[in-house]
Amino acid sequence: MLAIKELRKNFGNLRALDGVSLTVERGLITGLIGPNGSGKTTLFNVVSGFYAKDGGEIRFKGKRIDSLTPDAIARRGLCRTFQIAKAPEKLTILENMLLAANAQRGENPVSALFKRHSVNKLERENLDTAMELLTMLELAHLRNEFAGNLSGGQKKLLSLGRMLMRNPDLILLDEPTAGVNPTLANELLEVIKSLQKELKRTFLIVEHNMKVIANLCEKVFVLNFGKLLAEGTPEEIQQNEQVLKAYLGGT
Amino acid sequence: MTTINFLIYLLTMIGIYGFLSLSLNFQVGFTGLINFGQVAFFAIGAYTSSLLVCKAGAPVILGFLGGMLLSGLFGYLISIPTKSLKSDYWAIATLAGGEVIRLIALNEGWLTEGAFGVMRIPQPFRALFSMDTYPLFYLILVLVCLAIAYIILSLLSNSPFGRDLKAIRDEEELSLSLGKNTRKLKIEAMIVAGMVAGLGGALFAHYITYISPENFRPIETFLMWAMIIVGGRGNHLGAIVGAVTIQLFNVSTRFIGAYLPFTPGFMAALRMVIIGMLIVAFLVFRPDGLVKERKKIYRFKNDDGEVD
Amino acid sequence: MDIAQILANALVRAAELGLLAVGLTMVFDILKFTNFAHADYAILGAFLVYTFNCGAGLNLFLSVFLAAVAAGLIAVAIDKAIFKGFRKKGTKSVTAMITSLGIAIALRNIVRMIWTSESRTYAIPIQRPLRILGARITPVQIGILITSLVAMIGFHLLLQRTKFGKALRAISDNRVLASACAIDSEKMIQWMWFLATAFGVVGGTMIAMEHLLYPRLGFDILIPIFCAAILGGIGNPYGAMLGALVLALAENVILALDFGHILSFGGLFELGSIQIKTGYKPAISFVILVIVLLLRPTGILGRK
Ligand SMILES: Nc1ncnc2c1ncn2[C@@H]1O[C@H](COP(=O)(O)OP(=O)(O)OP(=O)(O)O)[C@@H](O)[C@H]1O
Ligand SMILES: [Mg+2]
Repeated sequence: MLAIKELRKNFGNLRALDGVSLTVERGLITGLIGPNGSGKTTLFNVVSGFYAKDGGEIRFKGKRIDSLTPDAIARRGLCRTFQIAKAPEKLTILENMLLAANAQRGENPVSALFKRHSVNKLERENLDTAMELLTMLELAHLRNEFAGNLSGGQKKLLSLGRMLMRNPDLILLDEPTAGVNPTLANELLEVIKSLQKELKRTFLIVEHNMKVIANLCEKVFVLNFGKLLAEGTPEEIQQNEQVLKAYLGGT
Repeated sequence: MTTINFLIYLLTMIGIYGFLSLSLNFQVGFTGLINFGQVAFFAIGAYTSSLLVCKAGAPVILGFLGGMLLSGLFGYLISIPTKSLKSDYWAIATLAGGEVIRLIALNEGWLTEGAFGVMRIPQPFRALFSMDTYPLFYLILVLVCLAIAYIILSLLSNSPFGRDLKAIRDEEELSLSLGKNTRKLKIEAMIVAGMVAGLGGALFAHYITYISPENFRPIETFLMWAMIIVGGRGNHLGAIVGAVTIQLFNVSTRFIGAYLPFTPGFMAALRMVIIGMLIVAFLVFRPDGLVKERKKIYRFKNDDGEVD
Repeated sequence: MDIAQILANALVRAAELGLLAVGLTMVFDILKFTNFAHADYAILGAFLVYTFNCGAGLNLFLSVFLAAVAAGLIAVAIDKAIFKGFRKKGTKSVTAMITSLGIAIALRNIVRMIWTSESRTYAIPIQRPLRILGARITPVQIGILITSLVAMIGFHLLLQRTKFGKALRAISDNRVLASACAIDSEKMIQWMWFLATAFGVVGGTMIAMEHLLYPRLGFDILIPIFCAAILGGIGNPYGAMLGALVLALAENVILALDFGHILSFGGLFELGSIQIKTGYKPAISFVILVIVLLLRPTGILGRK
């Protein structure tokens, strides 16, 4: 589904991505791990079009996407969340969910003014979906709060909620459970898992917790200093000497 | 001038500036576009309409439409670079853009009559009213148009379009990550804003019947900014409250000035000092303005959302 | 087209604008917002110079010095009253920018209240221009060039050779980190305001000296200053100097150009002489600014 070849990204002299190649298979949950500063978020930023690459190519559903703008990439069905969760502060939680809805009408002034009936009908449907998802995320009681008032962990939940609302083909999650309380985090991971199992959604997840990775992923890629250090099943990765070294410090 | 005439004048000017602050608020308060050249829309609307009517002999209604369209077109043009410019830079560019429009009005005398200005601009339906009743008619015309603009803008800001704009204002990157074509949305917002302000300009020109580049100095832009900062951004009511407050202040101090032992120049300067300080004081002590941005609350028919 | 004259005019203009642009760029570099009041601080200072010089009869240099100090202190006071609170609260930079616009309006009109809107000139005797390499240049202009050069060199030494300069650069990179390294960033920021404004006053006075002094001068020079700062890559003081030079050259060349000659491809057609209307003179820097913004928003030196 996603095929990255020899991807490069430099910040001045720093090689944040130094020829990374990896693939994400349709219908699977793939993990991306690595020490702090190893380039995971940078990879997300380049893949989702926020940073221009300095070399290599990215294919999504067989087509090159490495020269598209972030919004065009998102419209093709590849969506990402941010490590530091973002939420428009003066939109309520419910509006945040509606904002993400995949099918929307009335997003331009003409249809907003002249097709109000069909716009409202679709909005109603989206509202119902949004309420269901919010209930599951335990955010329903906050639905009319400004998103700016949420805590960091709640914003993380909300970003996941928006992803579920949008329901794209490939979801990139940057540390989705960081700062979320453990019980809820476990439930979230169950949700992600069931989405993959039942709806055949595809995920690429950055996560520091090896247990989570072992539990979720069929395949894991390890980054270190912008290079691919290892790839394989969680079991293989956990026994890989180099990976252990990288995580325990020392080069 | 009798009190009643003065009141009508005051209300008409409040109405006209209402268009400008509604429009600026739509850009700044909803879309997050910092436009320091708002006066350009005002000038384009005013000049286009008066020139169409005075020089091309078009009926006034066509003048109004022309003013709106050209002003909307200007909104389209200046919103193109928002794609590549940081908001600071765009703000500077709009400031410059506003001045360029004024310089064109000043220098292209063959079209705009230059510094002399356009005189004897015809008024709509003038023949149907007497000298005394016409101002009242015009006031009603302005207020009806303003109400329509208000309703249209409210419908827009309450729609998914308006939600997208607010999302751009608060978190542009997030909007992009959700597939919003922020560039297109900004352009559409600027066209809408341009048309609203252009109509304000046209109504202004046909009201005072004489316009010159002097009417469109950058100071007008700052007045409009004072309106949205005092009134509050991100809701249309705030823009109107701001227009009322600032215009009341602006016009009434002109009135009071006649009784104070100051020169007109001193009074004008004092007025602007207070406006400047108002902008600063509100941003420091009450950044939300007089009317806060409101939440959009969805109600559920069967109230199943209320259980928890 | 007299090349020597164009160069001379451009150098003088660059000397004036450069000092103003450096200050603007400093504020941006440290505080990350565009200060729309910068030119008005400078013109307030230029009016103070006028009062010291023509009102109190002080020597011009002493007047400039006193006015620069006074305006610098005013800028520090405004920072303490307004921007410091913004920094504490973490207010968005856009808000600071709009606030600076409000300050600009207030300052400009305070100047009008005190000194009226009349145009004024300093007490400098009218001097016969000298001829240097074929260009006519007045002693005042030579003074401007020398003053600006000295100020720029002083600025360079300050930035590169002193603890203050180092601390300033550290704050520019990361204010929080700098504070952690025992740099008193608030104090540094006050010094920065003081210096930026003092430089601006010198630049503003020089512009007023060469032309006229009037309250709206601040607005009239604002766009050229922005243009110079952005051309050089905003936040980069050396870029600001270079940007001022490039802008000044462009302005003077465009004013002197005969577009009729160019458009007729050197006289192939009869087009007559087409020059930029003097009424559009202020628009030149606007247009250059817009072109720069569109083509190279990071400036000619290109940061990042
Ligand atoms: N915009 C940027 N400009 C300059 N350097 C950057 C930028 N973004 C990231 N970097 C650098 O690139 C390297 C990789 O950063 P990245 O954020 O991708 O790490 P990460 O693997 O996501 O780390 P973490 O686990 O802490 O989130 C780091 O050294 C970082 O400092
Ligand atoms: Mg990261």
